Amino acid sequence: MSNRTSVGGWLVGKTKTVRKGGVTPASAHNTRSNTPQVQSTSTTVFGGGVKDASGRTTEFFSMDDQCPVCRSDRYLNPKLRLLVSSCYHKMCESCIDRLFTLGPAPCPICQKVLRKLAFTPQTFEDLTVEKEVAVRRRIAKEFNKRREDFPDLRSYNDYLEEVEDITFNLINEVNIPETEARIEAYRRENAALIELNVRRDEQYSQELKQQEEQERLEREQRAQEARRLEELEREEKEKGRREIIDRLETSTKDAAEIIAKSRAEATKRAASRAAATTTFKSSAQLLRSRAAQSTTIPDVPHVPLQDDWYAYGDMYARLDHYDDMYSEAVRQDQEGIMKAGGYKVEEAWERALRSAVTALFLPPLSDPENSLTSATFLQPKNDVVPT
Amino acid sequence: MTAEPSETHSNSPPGKAPLYEASTQFKSWRYSPKRLRHVRQTLNAAAVAAIRKTLEADEPGSSTSVSFLQPDDELLLVKLYTTKIPQLCGHFRFPEEVEATAISYLKRFYLKNTVMDWHPKNVMLTALFLATKTTNNPISLDSYTSNIPKTSQSDVLDLEFLVAQSLNFEFAVWHAHRALWGLWLDLQSLPDVTESLRPLEVYETALKHVRVSRFTDAELIYAPSQIALAALSLVSPFLCQKWLDSKMPSDPIAAESHRQILEQTNSEIENMIMQHGQPPDVEAAREVDRRLKLCKNPEKVVGSKAYLTRRAEEERRAEEKRNKKAQDIRKTSEGEDPFGSQLAGSQESQSVDDDDDD
Amino acid sequence: MDAVERANAEKQKRWVKDQKVGEGTYAVVYRGREAATGRRVAIKKIKIGQFKDGLDMSAIREVKYLRELHHQNVIGLLDVFSSKTNLNLVLEFLDSDLEMIIKDRSLVFLPADIKSWMAMTIRGLEFCHRNFILHRDLKPNNLLVASDGQLKIADFGLARDFADPGYKMTSQVITRWYRPPELLFGCRYYSSAVDIWSVGCIFAELMLRTPYLPGETDMDQLRTIFRALGTPTEEEWPGYTKLPDYIPVGQFPKTPLRDLFTAASGDALNLLSRCLIYEPRRRITAIEALHHPYFTGLPYPTHPSKLPRPASRASRPLEEVDGNVDMVDSGPGVKAVASNRLKRKLSSPMDGVRPLARRLDFTQHKGS
Repeated sequence: MSNRTSVGGWLVGKTKTVRKGGVTPASAHNTRSNTPQVQSTSTTVFGGGVKDASGRTTEFFSMDDQCPVCRSDRYLNPKLRLLVSSCYHKMCESCIDRLFTLGPAPCPICQKVLRKLAFTPQTFEDLTVEKEVAVRRRIAKEFNKRREDFPDLRSYNDYLEEVEDITFNLINEVNIPETEARIEAYRRENAALIELNVRRDEQYSQELKQQEEQERLEREQRAQEARRLEELEREEKEKGRREIIDRLETSTKDAAEIIAKSRAEATKRAASRAAATTTFKSSAQLLRSRAAQSTTIPDVPHVPLQDDWYAYGDMYARLDHYDDMYSEAVRQDQEGIMKAGGYKVEEAWERALRSAVTALFLPPLSDPENSLTSATFLQPKNDVVPT
Repeated sequence: MTAEPSETHSNSPPGKAPLYEASTQFKSWRYSPKRLRHVRQTLNAAAVAAIRKTLEADEPGSSTSVSFLQPDDELLLVKLYTTKIPQLCGHFRFPEEVEATAISYLKRFYLKNTVMDWHPKNVMLTALFLATKTTNNPISLDSYTSNIPKTSQSDVLDLEFLVAQSLNFEFAVWHAHRALWGLWLDLQSLPDVTESLRPLEVYETALKHVRVSRFTDAELIYAPSQIALAALSLVSPFLCQKWLDSKMPSDPIAAESHRQILEQTNSEIENMIMQHGQPPDVEAAREVDRRLKLCKNPEKVVGSKAYLTRRAEEERRAEEKRNKKAQDIRKTSEGEDPFGSQLAGSQESQSVDDDDDD
Repeated sequence: MDAVERANAEKQKRWVKDQKVGEGTYAVVYRGREAATGRRVAIKKIKIGQFKDGLDMSAIREVKYLRELHHQNVIGLLDVFSSKTNLNLVLEFLDSDLEMIIKDRSLVFLPADIKSWMAMTIRGLEFCHRNFILHRDLKPNNLLVASDGQLKIADFGLARDFADPGYKMTSQVITRWYRPPELLFGCRYYSSAVDIWSVGCIFAELMLRTPYLPGETDMDQLRTIFRALGTPTEEEWPGYTKLPDYIPVGQFPKTPLRDLFTAASGDALNLLSRCLIYEPRRRITAIEALHHPYFTGLPYPTHPSKLPRPASRASRPLEEVDGNVDMVDSGPGVKAVASNRLKRKLSSPMDGVRPLARRLDFTQHKGS
């Protein structure tokens, strides 16, 4: 007999031994494979950055990118875009917006006063490289003389050496005022030539652009051709079908023979077409073949539940609250630990309610004939003993 | 679909099978009273015949003086140990779920085995230990046995597989105490059953009746909801009736048949609780136990002559099998190509009862 | 012979064991067939008698629940019998799993395919929850796929009944990457919402083709979650800082899911976000999810028979159908399977660069 009589006996928490440890997770997936490509986009337009020959800027970004100011990183903020200040410190667009929108403010890293537009996209991982490239870019704009602008190699070399010298000073911040003066002097002396070379460069990049455009058009044409062939194929199939019907109507030949003949012809046509076109297995093709399958076994609308089990749902309706001695502790839960953890007393109530109506109207088995089916596993023992 | 054809009496919508009928409790552990008697008698008779044979083989004429246990004797002893389970559970402070499950296991075990083969004391300890695990309240074997006097770990463990096997590895049990809790909650849905009409004492007393019902055959015959309802009906026929009225289908013919079913189950279960819920007379049980000492199956008594004979026979058969297997492997590996032996495993179908120890 | 033994012998004869296809610390899996019909099955032989506490908890759980659950999207347990001191589970034969499918780069997933797998997963889970059973180890590896394309939830080695009020449960469940934050914070009172979080992670993984929240340690898992979804505020998840193992892991801003799941439909993202709601009680339930517009809208879910399947269907590495409890931090010690070991070895060079490898790699994909 039970020696516990108090109510709540079977549900009130009791101490019990729970095995420590339990399961630790597996790490079956050791490798991470490809991820979808997410392009960084920007709402603020920042100038600068290093342009390539065709005038585009390739921004550097890495999966390890992290804003040194707000610590947000690339992993889960794929839109993260780091820009570089004129003092060569990185920070993200949102920090720049936050710090410099109201006007010039000190750089949070070196305190140099910066303006918002003094930020440029980063091209290189190493910021000293970034700086060097920026300086060289600036210098190259005006120190754009070519070998043919000089009477001899020696004077060209002297010119290059001077450019190197100026570049070095700017990068390493040596003799800045003097260097700037040298640049200014050069600019004055060579204004016409500089202008001429700028135009020459522009023409070059124009040519590059045209070449690229040409390539793009060619690609498009190829795609169009592929679509046309596909359409042709479809038409041919349709034609084949019509032909069969026509022939069946007019011919006295056996139907099967006609179909077989038409099929053979269609196959031949398709084969010749295949030979003419270079085929490559693309995912688009794969998808097309999958789509073709759909005609044989159609997809059907979603049906939420597909099983035939009846869970007595019509025999009870759960209330939102119950006066319940067993769940009092849970419902009061001062610390909110059970609530924060997501424990749902409603689920336990549901189970109890279901239990109360489950098989309520099931008549007990009455005669042995019926019950034989419920105990087929048991065989009378005396059948087996005398061996 | 996976649902088995539902019985005609179920009140599930057409084409649907009630979930209860998917349960192993419904499929394997539901009996008629007659069937229960038959099972017990058959098991008892077979055991007596087998033991008699063994005794005679050992010493002709020795079985005549033995007073074998009758089915009712067996039942009495099982019941005695059933009533020990709540005591142990109280000691360990196990949840009610463990207690109820262990009792179900013990009763089910003796629908597949007899007391003369396996003494209920150890089976009871094993059933309880198994129930702690199947209900997700595991306790280490060490702390389990060290809290029960005169019990070794092997007393519990040796029989565990046998018990699990006898249960047909069907561990899930639906219990009446949960149904009663649900019933109690659901009474609150009835607008005219005010709080004063359902004092907590009613529930407490009904729960006691549910606990008592565990010492009877009720759970082997009736659904847990029916036992819970009968337990409530014993305390408050009024609440029972009120609740039942709210569950009746609108179709008067169906309602009438349901009413009849529940009138029957209520009165039968109430009767069981009142008549058979008492723990057995200790003296009577002691007497049975004394007789059991003389008539238990010697093949299951460790160290006895019959036990050793049986063991030797089993060992001989196992040896034969091992030899045959070794021979088979040799045959295959002597085959044509050097890779033959490697493929042997996949080419040749092993019998499922092989003796591999992997 | 006892009645019990006789019945067992009868059952044993029904099944024929063929070659071994996998081995774990406590179970060996064989391919097999039904003697009478030749129907293919998997026979999982669980070794008994080597555990000091007797029958192992995960074996008990698996048998207990699979014995009761009969559903199209839950693996079928056809029979149970013993041989000597081994427990044999005869299971439906299923030759692939969702993890294999996700990893097979030659397969292209249509949005309708993902929808179909999700619907089957949630249908199976809803049935578990309808039976008041928590699975507690949902992950692609445990979602097996039959030859007709039907997806079936397997591995009930960590499953348990819903807890009664006031009873504690262990928080050490669910493989880390699929484990919800409440469990990482050591919560001992939880609900079916834990499985829903896992479903959300699986959904994301189907879209990304890579695990969504691959934390390296339990701590790192929290950090990974918060980086993905933002650190929850007290308002979003009341009381969570009071959970037993609460530990602050840093403030991370919220990033819209759209930024990562660029190709997903609005309905898909809505369902995903509702699976990954921090406050467990507000997370969508399985039955609610099945009625979500994502499923009812277009495109229709792909018919299971047309779903992408791995090309080589020869042998599914039948690792870890068991999910045993293990105290070692390296994961459930049940995954040792010949073919899987090989897989592990091949990927081991990655181990040295884990901190990089586990992040979303944006550079690698460029140009490919």
